[in-house]
Amino acid sequence: MRTPTIAEAAKLIAARKLSPLELAKHALARIEAEDGTLNSFILVTRERAMADAEAAEQRMMRGERRGMLDGIPIAHKDIYGTAGIATTGHSKLLKDWVPAENATTVQKLADAGTVMLGKLATHEFAFGGPSFDLPWPPARNPWDRNHFTSGSSSGTGAAVAAGLILGGTGSDTGGSIRGPASLCGIAGIKPTYGLCSRYGILPLANSLDHAGPMAWTAEDCALLLQAMAGHDPKDPASADRPVPDFAAELGRDAKGLRIGVARNWHEDDRPVAPAVQAGIDRALDIWRAQGAEIREVKPPSLRDYQAALFVILTAEAFSLHEPWMQERFADYGELLRDRMAFGAVFAATDYVQALRFRRELCAATAAEAAEVDLLVTAAAAAEAPRIDLVPKWESLVRPGFTAPFNITGWPAIVVCAGFGENGLPVGVQIAAKPFQEATLFRAAHAFEREAGLRDRRPTLTAALAA
Amino acid sequence: MPAKLPQADFEVLIRRAGLRLTEAQIAELYTAWEHVEPMLERVRAPGRGREAELALVFRPEVV
Repeated sequence: MRTPTIAEAAKLIAARKLSPLELAKHALARIEAEDGTLNSFILVTRERAMADAEAAEQRMMRGERRGMLDGIPIAHKDIYGTAGIATTGHSKLLKDWVPAENATTVQKLADAGTVMLGKLATHEFAFGGPSFDLPWPPARNPWDRNHFTSGSSSGTGAAVAAGLILGGTGSDTGGSIRGPASLCGIAGIKPTYGLCSRYGILPLANSLDHAGPMAWTAEDCALLLQAMAGHDPKDPASADRPVPDFAAELGRDAKGLRIGVARNWHEDDRPVAPAVQAGIDRALDIWRAQGAEIREVKPPSLRDYQAALFVILTAEAFSLHEPWMQERFADYGELLRDRMAFGAVFAATDYVQALRFRRELCAATAAEAAEVDLLVTAAAAAEAPRIDLVPKWESLVRPGFTAPFNITGWPAIVVCAGFGENGLPVGVQIAAKPFQEATLFRAAHAFEREAGLRDRRPTLTAALAA
Repeated sequence: MPAKLPQADFEVLIRRAGLRLTEAQIAELYTAWEHVEPMLERVRAPGRGREAELALVFRPEVV
């Protein structure tokens, strides 16, 4: 049995052609066979998964399914609080912490009938990685286990790509959903700021943190986001507005969409590898052939967004971790503590100036995108590097492609756009105006259907591949 | 380009924040400071207009 997509599994379960129990057993068997070297899970909740699956099975038999996610095996990034189940942040500092309640999004996904398989690796507190000095090893890329997953939603990226889970949760403060989606060859969306509650999720930087789903396809992300989104008075940044039908535009092609290409980002500010450029061009060709209008836009330099993001993120993160940074510095992994320590050096005016700069960048981005529906660029500059060769200060030296949409709060999705050196995947990033996720899903799905890249999975062990 | 902030001043700021780092740890951090300083200068660009002044709440849908 190959791991189905969420949409495929949902249809089979609805037709009683697939048992949620069998699907859960399949996922658990894959975890047991593969995760010893992938390290995507911190904790496998086998008993909980079987109980969830049994309940879903009973609902299926009674004709009382709760929707498309009922009986679907997922797992949560280990910064998502789970009642009665350890939530570590992949850190020594929280290795024994067991929350009393679920994060809002965890509860929403449970209410939708999902089967929880466990907790997934992350960069420590969603910030520093890949780290080899933490209580758990870093997740590895299923396409080549010597290579990096990106982060910080590293376990989710690896587990989805390897078919250990059908979908999972991630968080994105500077690109932590979209980076792993790109390097692991899957789909991941950072929704509009405020669309998904962060209540119960370990925070990193309040004004930049986003919760969102990751899965094999854009369609699956739409299904997961449907359950995760919605107003939550317990998150002060939560948007109080109706949740639209994210699948409403799936199946429509790109005809009539106005797509702006930010070439100044991926050709000038940080030129991308040939495979990434080919992936972007492939997407543009497909949308153009479907009737989209492609035009060039020129938003501010990536270095502007990088500077604002770094100062805001680091200052907000340090303010959260200050007592532990002062008292338990050695208990953090080297990468996290060294990155966060810069937050101790900034002046208050640095932070305020960065917030002012952010407003200018938001206004400039909106002005440049005024005549388009979508923005397109790279998600990562190249294929995944070797995990042992990721430079410590990479994010300081070279600007990333994901920061603009944490700064603006705009939704952005990454989908697999092709394969490069040694068969490693590359992604394309698509962004939209606030709360226009349905249009993002439409364009991403239209590309995925036409590009035909979703039939290719990483080659895992011979026994499972057979 | 070498950092403008001398390492001794950098160390004072680290100590003032209550971080008890070894000299080797501070030296390691300081090697990256040359990448951070240009970012601070970038966010402090002069001539910022009134539109940059902060609202109390960040609301992406109105920008």
